[in-house]
Amino acid sequence: MSHNFRHWPIITILTIVSLPLIIMFAFQIIDTFTTHPIDSMIPNKVTFEQFSFLWDEAETGRANIWQVTLNTFIFATTTAVVVCTVSMTTAYALSRLNFPGRRYFLGGLIILHAFPTVTLIIAIFLILQIIGLYDTLLGVIMVKAALELPFGIWIMKGFYDNVPWEIEMAGVQDGASRFTVWWKLVLPQVQPGIFALMIFSFLSGWSEFLLPQVLAPGNDAQVLSTYMTALIADDTKIDFALFKAVGMFYALPVIAIYLIFQKKLMNIYGGGTKG
Amino acid sequence: MKNFNWLALGFLAPALIVITVFFLAPVILTGIFSFTSMSTSTGVTGGEYLLNQSGIRALADKGLNTATLDQLKNAGYVVDEKGLAALAERHGVATATEMRKLHENGQFSSRRDMERALKSLKANKIRSTKDRKAAAELFKHSLLNERFPTESKFRTAITEGGIPLEDHELIVTQAYTGWVWTVDNVKLLFSLPSTLRYAGNTLIYVTLTLMFNIGFGLFLAISTFYLPAKSASTFRAIWFLPRILPPVMYVLLWKWLTWDTGFIATTLSWIGVAPINWMLDTSTHAWVVVVLINGSFGASLGMILFSSAIKAIPSSILYASEVDGANRWQQVRYIILPHLRWPILFITSYQTLSLLTSFEHILLSTEGGPGRATEVWSLAAYHIALDNYGGNLQYGLGATFAVALVIIGIIASLFYLRFFNFNEMVAKPKIEG
Amino acid sequence: MQITLQNFTKKFDDVTVIENMNLEIKDGEMLALLGPSGCGKSTTLFAICGIHRVNGGKILFGDQDVSDLPSQKRNVGVVFQSYALYPHMNAYENIAFPLKVRKDKPADIKRQVHEIAKLTHIEELLERKPGQLSGGQQQRVALARALIRKPDVLLLDEPLANLDAKLRLEMRSEIRRIQLETGITAILVTHDQVEAMSMCDRIALMHDGKIVQLDKPSEMYNNPANKFVADFLGNPPITFLDAEHKDKTLLLPNGHSIASPNLNAAVKKVQVGIRPECFGPQFGMGVKGVVKFIEKQGREELFDIQLTDGSILRSIQASGSDLEVGADIDWGLSLDDLLFFDMQGERL
Repeated sequence: MSHNFRHWPIITILTIVSLPLIIMFAFQIIDTFTTHPIDSMIPNKVTFEQFSFLWDEAETGRANIWQVTLNTFIFATTTAVVVCTVSMTTAYALSRLNFPGRRYFLGGLIILHAFPTVTLIIAIFLILQIIGLYDTLLGVIMVKAALELPFGIWIMKGFYDNVPWEIEMAGVQDGASRFTVWWKLVLPQVQPGIFALMIFSFLSGWSEFLLPQVLAPGNDAQVLSTYMTALIADDTKIDFALFKAVGMFYALPVIAIYLIFQKKLMNIYGGGTKG
Repeated sequence: MKNFNWLALGFLAPALIVITVFFLAPVILTGIFSFTSMSTSTGVTGGEYLLNQSGIRALADKGLNTATLDQLKNAGYVVDEKGLAALAERHGVATATEMRKLHENGQFSSRRDMERALKSLKANKIRSTKDRKAAAELFKHSLLNERFPTESKFRTAITEGGIPLEDHELIVTQAYTGWVWTVDNVKLLFSLPSTLRYAGNTLIYVTLTLMFNIGFGLFLAISTFYLPAKSASTFRAIWFLPRILPPVMYVLLWKWLTWDTGFIATTLSWIGVAPINWMLDTSTHAWVVVVLINGSFGASLGMILFSSAIKAIPSSILYASEVDGANRWQQVRYIILPHLRWPILFITSYQTLSLLTSFEHILLSTEGGPGRATEVWSLAAYHIALDNYGGNLQYGLGATFAVALVIIGIIASLFYLRFFNFNEMVAKPKIEG
Repeated sequence: MQITLQNFTKKFDDVTVIENMNLEIKDGEMLALLGPSGCGKSTTLFAICGIHRVNGGKILFGDQDVSDLPSQKRNVGVVFQSYALYPHMNAYENIAFPLKVRKDKPADIKRQVHEIAKLTHIEELLERKPGQLSGGQQQRVALARALIRKPDVLLLDEPLANLDAKLRLEMRSEIRRIQLETGITAILVTHDQVEAMSMCDRIALMHDGKIVQLDKPSEMYNNPANKFVADFLGNPPITFLDAEHKDKTLLLPNGHSIASPNLNAAVKKVQVGIRPECFGPQFGMGVKGVVKFIEKQGREELFDIQLTDGSILRSIQASGSDLEVGADIDWGLSLDDLLFFDMQGERL
């Protein structure tokens, strides 16, 4: 940027409008590790007792936190792997292979990409009940992966489109089959894309709330988002310190990944996610 | 040539299957469901035949004559296998065997007749009147509250109950508990006053949030553009966090900020303001919070896209405008904003669709409250079909609500096709075959 | 208006790009900042227009010190290499922009835009967007936009670099014509010596952030201050031969010797600069060699001649000779036009 403008007025305004968020984030961290007197926001004691939910016996009727965490991890990982694998092949076909109806497939993809979850979820709820996958982790994983798929294909296609045709032409000239060309020559070029998509889908799965809430409400298939919601919804005791500690535990992997891959993530979110 | 098509098919197959099961089928089924009366009480698969008190009342309303109604209502007594088995259990097999011998398949219209029949037992008398009365109940055979799995069984039962044939159709239809085809949902949609309310709420929600998203996204993108890289990326990171945090967690932070035990209430109590729930106190509070939650979440998308669009402006053009004498505001107004026309248009249409159909944050924060002040269309569809306090989930009606969104979705996607420069996107592969 | 740079210093982070540069551009003069890429000429230009801040020294417009003024407050017009026309505005709006942000009256703006459009010959193009204009037309619009405010100085940053050869020739004279007609002080940044020599009153030749010579074009060509200047100016470029200096005679490496009555006797070794037009059959004989390469340029032919000791001399001749590669030649030198430098490259 040129030096014709001053910075401090902008910084001041930005700080003021960002204040609610800054306060929320700051106290999120402060409150999980300290206690404070009622009617005050100023901490007076450092403590870890808010995290006792991690080692204490689960209350009756509530799932074990570690089981829930494991569920969440399985849910997010499997979703990410399925989305990446299927997007990898489909996007390549859409980007590079000639087949009848390609045009319509791509058009359909855009329509799906724009398709809202809420319009599908009622029917999916009933389908899962009919095929017996209602209230199972497997069922939610399948649905989540399917709903993420159009976005994944879309992003992957973008990555494939950027691979120079010359690489493939050279490969074909050298006598390799299209499959070999894809596997040996093209795939390595889009590795960063696959990685980015993997992170994105993992985070998306980790954060998912609505699908587990509707499609797997039971304790066995509970994930952290529904666990936390149930905790907050139980209005016998409103204990923000506990909620925040659970939230901290829940959000920790997300924040870690965010800090490490910030640039990559901003790019992929810019690529056209929902919301 | 052949080979490539097989390869393509193989590459596409997994996606094709998944998309058929989880997109195509649900969309079609949503359409179908919206013309049914499906709900928790009708079940999803098939239905049974059951007459209960409310069914009787409905039949009376439909003009069924009183005699038939009485017949339906009043219990009859039949000496059948079921009753005999129960009798055997209570009074011994011998009693049952004698009863079978004397009265197998006997029918009695009143309790007194049934008791008389029981009195006629000689070898195995049931002595006390009280026991006889109880035993009579074992043979009670009523159409009321009895479940029949199929239509033919139900028809046999009412024939045996002596219901005149001409009333059968009416009764069978009434007794059916499964779902039926109907256009009532559509009618309901257009007649319910709440429909208008949900539509209105959605309009408020989408308009306000969109304005916040675009306006604030622009503000963030432009203001951070003028900052040195380090402070710019700090502010971008702060505003990107709402998008990356799990929604449950993000909304929790807002609850902490706004609830009556939360930050605002506590801080204000220091200057003597009585604590209230700043999220749910009035509908205005709720709207402000809903817009802020969704706005802060959505602004980051605008921020990212607008930022990269601004970065794409050649620096010489910005320099030129400064040399030409434009101050900061004039540079934004005349140079940057015109360059953002397409991104703004894109985000506007994209976010409109997202906001129309997204309800996660509202569900997590106000749940549509207070009352139904912030119940938007998609949340209403969710509440009706999947989660309501009454417990009777009306899948059919919910699907009808969802279909309205499907239609909007399809229109919006067709609109997108124009944006995405479709023809360039489908450019023919350069290796033919 | 006279523009003065006093001890101008520019740093990017810790790297000093330009140190203590002094330059004076006279009122109404067109001065070229010439130099190879990376010599700091564009940095100087950006400092004059205020896009870059100075880290030391002063920039004066007339008597006014503008060093700390932002671009907006300096009255300069700039034509950028890519023209930097605002793509969403048509030609008229582009030209009017500096007046618009100054909040001039619409009627005034209209009159001035048409005036300047007339000067730059683009009256009939005003409705078009930049995308609908050819390179030369865009150039004219950019020029008009830069001139509309009647700036104190007109800065041209490689204005011809994006044009094809024929248009470049046309615009060269056009820019000069407009500069002369308006009488504006102008600074042209270029790496093209032909542009600098054909368009400007004076040239400041820059090298490594310093001005190595400031002179009239012809003077600079004929009288370079050092070897760098001699080497940089002239196309095809000059060639150098190392010679021994003894007894008022220069002994070239091929054994040929030339009289050098004006050289200081103390200098033992000399680099002799020989421009291609100073070597050929029209200057007699004595320098023997073999034709190694012939580049036919149409009107002229360029010869690479390998001398008997292996060193190479270039010669440019009118077309029509029937020499071929491998032919032996015996040509002479134009003794009056030879340039002598010491081994450090300074002119003798």
